[in-house]
Amino acid sequence: MASDESGDRGRQLCSFEKWVTLQQKDLSELLQALTQKPDSPGYDVLLSQLVEKNIQHFQDYIQQRNGLVHDDVSAFFAPTWCTSLENSLLWIAGCRPSLFIRLLYALWGSRVESQLTEFLQGMKTAGDLGVLSAKQLFMVDGLQRKTVGEEEKISSRLASLQEDIADQPIAVIAKDSTGKGEVNSDPDEALDEHGRAMRGILDEADQLRLSTLKELLSILTPFQAVDYLAATKKLHLCMHEWGRKRDHKHGDKL
Amino acid sequence: MAEIYCGVMSESDASKPSEPNSRSARRRRMEIRRIKFVAGGATSDTTNEEKRQKLELHPATVSRECENAFENCASDGERSHLERDNEKLEAKGISNSNQSPVLSPSPSTTLVDLEVHPKFGVASVCGRRRDMEDAVAIHPSFCRRENETTSELHYFGVYDGHGCSHVAMKCRDRLHELVREELQGREASTEWKSAMERSFFRMDKEVISWNEDLLGASCRCELQSPECDAVGSTAVVAVVTPDKIIIANCGDSRAVLCRNGKAVPLSTDHKPDRPDELRRIEAAGGRVLYWDVARVQGFLAMSRAIGDNYLKPFVSCEPEVTITDRTADDDCLILASDGLWDVVSNDTACGVARMCLRGKAPAGTQCSTESDAGGKIADKACSDASMLLTKLALARRSTDNVSVVVIDLRRDT
Repeated sequence: MASDESGDRGRQLCSFEKWVTLQQKDLSELLQALTQKPDSPGYDVLLSQLVEKNIQHFQDYIQQRNGLVHDDVSAFFAPTWCTSLENSLLWIAGCRPSLFIRLLYALWGSRVESQLTEFLQGMKTAGDLGVLSAKQLFMVDGLQRKTVGEEEKISSRLASLQEDIADQPIAVIAKDSTGKGEVNSDPDEALDEHGRAMRGILDEADQLRLSTLKELLSILTPFQAVDYLAATKKLHLCMHEWGRKRDHKHGDKL
Repeated sequence: MAEIYCGVMSESDASKPSEPNSRSARRRRMEIRRIKFVAGGATSDTTNEEKRQKLELHPATVSRECENAFENCASDGERSHLERDNEKLEAKGISNSNQSPVLSPSPSTTLVDLEVHPKFGVASVCGRRRDMEDAVAIHPSFCRRENETTSELHYFGVYDGHGCSHVAMKCRDRLHELVREELQGREASTEWKSAMERSFFRMDKEVISWNEDLLGASCRCELQSPECDAVGSTAVVAVVTPDKIIIANCGDSRAVLCRNGKAVPLSTDHKPDRPDELRRIEAAGGRVLYWDVARVQGFLAMSRAIGDNYLKPFVSCEPEVTITDRTADDDCLILASDGLWDVVSNDTACGVARMCLRGKAPAGTQCSTESDAGGKIADKACSDASMLLTKLALARRSTDNVSVVVIDLRRDT
């Protein structure tokens, strides 16, 4: 791929590709850690460090991306480096923060079911069952409610911003144009102004993604957290790969 | 601590039974509750004992005092006004049990004590929905009938809202008060059925008049007031007495009794295609149309609910009431919203609940070993059961809010 392109787009693409590569690397590290013997000395510390490291990587990516926005924030809302599949699922240039919770429910769901029979036969206690403890479930539920609320607030502000383009001054500049894009006054100033507001929203969305992930991981035990992080990365990488295949099949993008 | 308890006493004593529901009184209670929760850890047995004695001595104002008593032990009163509060369950269990050493030196006393302190667990989560429309109300010893000094009545309710959450919230805050008024206002020969029906009708009326006067609403549908008529809630209410279980149900939440390991449904879901419900709707001039599932007038997928004024009289708020005698074979009672029942059968739910209760607190052992640990363990078992059922519902991809209440009915003999 054209990672050596110069200009904003090239650097943005490059940043994303590095992020994908880093995720792959992190994933193998996480999976490797999960195969180790749970009773080996310092295991929990190792897992915790791994979780910290992954959070740091996510934080770094957000920061780096933020540095690349400049006056081209729209590139992140509709990234050319992502597949159509990924782009169709974007919420403000990334995943919905509430999706972190859904993934957790899905992840542990299958395990509960498989252990239920043993539990009903008295071979397991309630504590063994279901990976998440009662307390954890309540904290996750609380986090979910908070996250959905925050998400709705940001979504609502995004809606206003999207409506703004049909209003003064942008709509008026368009109205006064010849219809072929030629205009009397320069639209750039208005669009840049709008872009700055969009950038603000992007910042907030990124912060919400980060804080949600951090809080969720803090609810989990180190082992659960590593297991969960591996699942997030698998999901991301798979969606990217599946999207590529589907784009290829449909003849878009090669 | 002493000042706080004095405060509680005088508040209780001063309150007139005729106005137990006044807003200011409730606010005061809430304040006291808050203080107490902070101070909860330091509760002394002596204070509790005094409190208990007082409780036994004044049956006339007992429901108020009971509530306070429960608050004193940082127990159920606190939980009762909250939709979800399980994080505090364990802490409560511990304080709760402070009373036991004083009150239950022998199994017989323990039995009485347990009647005052029903063992229950509650779990209520948003799950895969983005908004929470379920509500749960738990009021141990919410009422005592005037001529029966020993029979405490415990109230449990699960409400599953639709359209918005506010009708469910109103039910959570009010329905038990209405039930209490109906029960206390009549002679002891009170007909359960009519008392429950009157409470539900009054609840429905309150909700509708509140809808009409939307001032003070803080929910989303406030912005769309014409549609506020299209908001409602199911209600499944259990009143547990020492010898009976009274269930009043309206909608598709459900009460299931676990008896000797077998599931005995104590309510029948109100679905529009239930033959008798279909006849009732059509007799009233309504229609049942299918859109995914059977719906009243093509809209609501249940045939009875509190609220939903736009579908009256086809959608009725009249509860179906069942009265069941308690037996020694009873394990527990499960109340839950359809978020559970859609994906977990009655039998599976009973199996899970029974295993949790059996695994944690074998009957009989708790009193003889360490009486103060008994309450805590049992409470934990019920919480485990409600939580495990909730987890199972989520694991089975329930797409709705999930609320589960499990009440231990075993006699510790």
